[in-house]
Amino acid sequence: MWQVVGHEWAVELLERSLANGRTAHAYLLLGLPQIGKTTLALNFAQALNCLGEEKPCGQCRSCLKIAHGNHPDVRVIEAVNGTIKIDQMRAVQREVALSPHEGRWKVYIIRQMERATTEAANCLLKTLEEPPTQVILMLTAGEIDQLLPTIISRCQVLNLRPLPISLVREALEERWEIDPEQARLLARLSGGRLGWAVRASEEAAILQKRERCLNEMIELMGQGRVERLRYAQRLSRHPDSLREVLDLWLSWWRDLLLVKGGSSTEVTNVDREATLRSQAQSYSLTQVRDFVKALRAAVWQLDHNANTRLALEVLMLSLPAPST
Amino acid sequence: MTAQALYRRWRSRTFEEVLGQEHVTRTLRNALLSGRVAHAYLFAGPRGTGKTTVARLLAKAVNCLSEEGEKPCNQCPICQAINEGRLLDLIEIDAASNRGIDEIRDLREKVGFRPSEARYKVYIIDESHMLTNEAFNALLKTLEEPPPHVIFVLATTEPHKIPATILSRCQRFDFRRASLGDLRRKLNRICESEGIVIEEAALELIIRSAAGSFRDAESLLDQLASYGDDEITLAQVQAVLGTVSAQAIEKLVGHLVNKDVAGGLDLINQVIGDGVDPRQFNRELVEYLRGLLLIKTGNRASLLNVTAEALAEMEDQARQLSTRALLRTVRLFNQASFDLKASLQPQLPLELAFIEATLGEDSVAEEEPVSEAPQKAGQETPSAPSPSVTAPTVLRESRAVEGTRAAQAVAADASPSPPSAEDTLTEGETLPASGVTLERVRLNWARILAEIRPHNRSAEALLRSGRAEAVEGNVVVLGFPYAFHKERVEEPKCQALVEQVFSRVLGNPCRIRCILVSKNNSKSTRQPKARRPEPVKVKKERADGESQEDKYRAIAEDPVVRAAVDKYGAQVVDVQ
Repeated sequence: MWQVVGHEWAVELLERSLANGRTAHAYLLLGLPQIGKTTLALNFAQALNCLGEEKPCGQCRSCLKIAHGNHPDVRVIEAVNGTIKIDQMRAVQREVALSPHEGRWKVYIIRQMERATTEAANCLLKTLEEPPTQVILMLTAGEIDQLLPTIISRCQVLNLRPLPISLVREALEERWEIDPEQARLLARLSGGRLGWAVRASEEAAILQKRERCLNEMIELMGQGRVERLRYAQRLSRHPDSLREVLDLWLSWWRDLLLVKGGSSTEVTNVDREATLRSQAQSYSLTQVRDFVKALRAAVWQLDHNANTRLALEVLMLSLPAPST
Repeated sequence: MTAQALYRRWRSRTFEEVLGQEHVTRTLRNALLSGRVAHAYLFAGPRGTGKTTVARLLAKAVNCLSEEGEKPCNQCPICQAINEGRLLDLIEIDAASNRGIDEIRDLREKVGFRPSEARYKVYIIDESHMLTNEAFNALLKTLEEPPPHVIFVLATTEPHKIPATILSRCQRFDFRRASLGDLRRKLNRICESEGIVIEEAALELIIRSAAGSFRDAESLLDQLASYGDDEITLAQVQAVLGTVSAQAIEKLVGHLVNKDVAGGLDLINQVIGDGVDPRQFNRELVEYLRGLLLIKTGNRASLLNVTAEALAEMEDQARQLSTRALLRTVRLFNQASFDLKASLQPQLPLELAFIEATLGEDSVAEEEPVSEAPQKAGQETPSAPSPSVTAPTVLRESRAVEGTRAAQAVAADASPSPPSAEDTLTEGETLPASGVTLERVRLNWARILAEIRPHNRSAEALLRSGRAEAVEGNVVVLGFPYAFHKERVEEPKCQALVEQVFSRVLGNPCRIRCILVSKNNSKSTRQPKARRPEPVKVKKERADGESQEDKYRAIAEDPVVRAAVDKYGAQVVDVQ
């Protein structure tokens, strides 16, 4: 049984290609982090090497070995210290030439291909174009832009899109047995990334942190410049969690945008809908839009190595105060 | 056994089969016929256009054993050996993984040996842009004068990375992107021979999304063919690519025309929720808007590949939008395509662009408070020129500044007694509207500088060093601390420009006269206000009993305020 939730079209495509004996030699799985790329790749590796009847059975020796990460023919290559290096790729090239040890297929799963150095990526090109028989390469990456076009055109590209929120919710309720209200919130917050939702359900700290950040932001809206600058300073001391905070703010202000625009789309921060609605009263649509833009500009600046504190200070000052 | 990918199985085997690269194949065939094959070639071009394929064809052709007919024959043992990838004398080097000098030295050593069975040894150096500098240099001598039995073919997608010394030793061929027609022909050929049945519309979509690369198109076809159904349908292609139905686009533009924000946001979210790729969505939306633009500008439907029904709908929508609004919308969504990164809210750039587009032109003014103020000021002077002079400055503003500007706006709003900026401005400006007075000159100093700047930067810099000392009738007396500055400003060309701008900004014809002020003197005029410790007090005292005008004059002379005006283009808005 396929373990993957959602992505039916991708699963179906892989399943059928397997059934028809038309598997490609290289796949590229694209999508947001924690959306299920590696899960799908491992699942496909199981299906390729499964000994059971209904592939992947998840029961046979081969499937279990792959699930536990000790199948000799299924390799997962990951970034070491942030990058995938040319030596790792050379090792793949060497190994690829050997025939499988016990399975039918050698499957190489290269995670986060965008982290490969230019040399490493180019090094893989020839192998990727015409690998030996019985070898399948599965690459995963977040953004197609960050890959060499020559890599992309050699693979069958499966662009995994965020799951429908309702599906994440169902999966959470049924498979992970999370209570409905919590599942609804997690599903919304996950933005269609099941992996994130599951992790958030296991680590209470994630939700607690969100709660704290939101409260701080709402409090900050009514405060003057001194508090705002102080907050900017505090945030800038934790550059690692900065992106998370800004994403959260962005989700909040996008919600406001939706509410203000009169859209009936369900908001992301469902648990705070009442607050959102009351806040929407005290802002104009242009104000909300401008601040969303300011937020995005700040994210862009931080991505491009701007002075963290300065960028945050500017952002904090542009946070509109609610009109009463 | 894995089925070989279509793009490998359908590599062209003769020069005729190579589509879209006639300029390359014709030259090569003529060279072969006349026996003038060069010893080194460079094939450059985008991915999937046939570089490796033609390189292999060339290897076959020079070694083909057939006596008559076009080479390669694909019959003789050599041709077959190459097709099966087992000819010893065709050496395909992956330069990306063998990129060092050692590999090239190794190659140089072996180049000298005679071919084992064929006539020529052909070295295909693929991805050659990845060779290191040293490797390239090590190759130079060999590439210039290789042994007679050797042919080099370098293939690369990035010819700009190849050193000039290599380029000049090779015959260079640039491969072009495949045209839609060529792609269609190739795919049709494959479909026929492979027995793949495909809907016409589905084929069209594949071709369009391949962006001129045969390999991309073939990969996609391959992927869809592995569904194994009887017929490849449009819906399947859409599911794989994450494209959106034409109706949804049309509907969204409908919401745009009606300025229905809620409806548009709902639609965007619904479509994205259905698993459509936001980029694809945006791309097609821009395509559609471009169609509207074409209709609007009077181009006929021949440029658009749409049905008569859709065309009627498009024409209707085009009628309801002004060209300007349409252009703006296209620009907004085009911009959004750059912002569409994989993020938690992939649809946000689309939503923003949509809201922006529906808010219409009115919001432009709000966005650019800087350009607004000079416009207002310009209104009260009858002979004021078009305010577009300020445009260059606005354009130059970086994104970061946008943030600060918003911040300023907020700060202004948040201040305790907020007399809105525009009110006081017009009030202040209407007072001395007639004639040229010193404080009008000083108040408008920043604007004058800003207007001179686009015409002559050095004139602006010169003026910065001076200041208006007095006004005599319609002659503005400018004082400079250094003779050099004064003389430069007095140059006829410069003086004419300065006078012209003064007249335009002040709304009265003015002349200027330059005088030299001693540094001490200029200091002494500034000194009373330069008493740093209690400048606030000074202002207060002065402000008490004096008229509005005097207050302005006083404040305009304050060194801090002057610095703000000169350096940052600030304007005196209110004195409290």
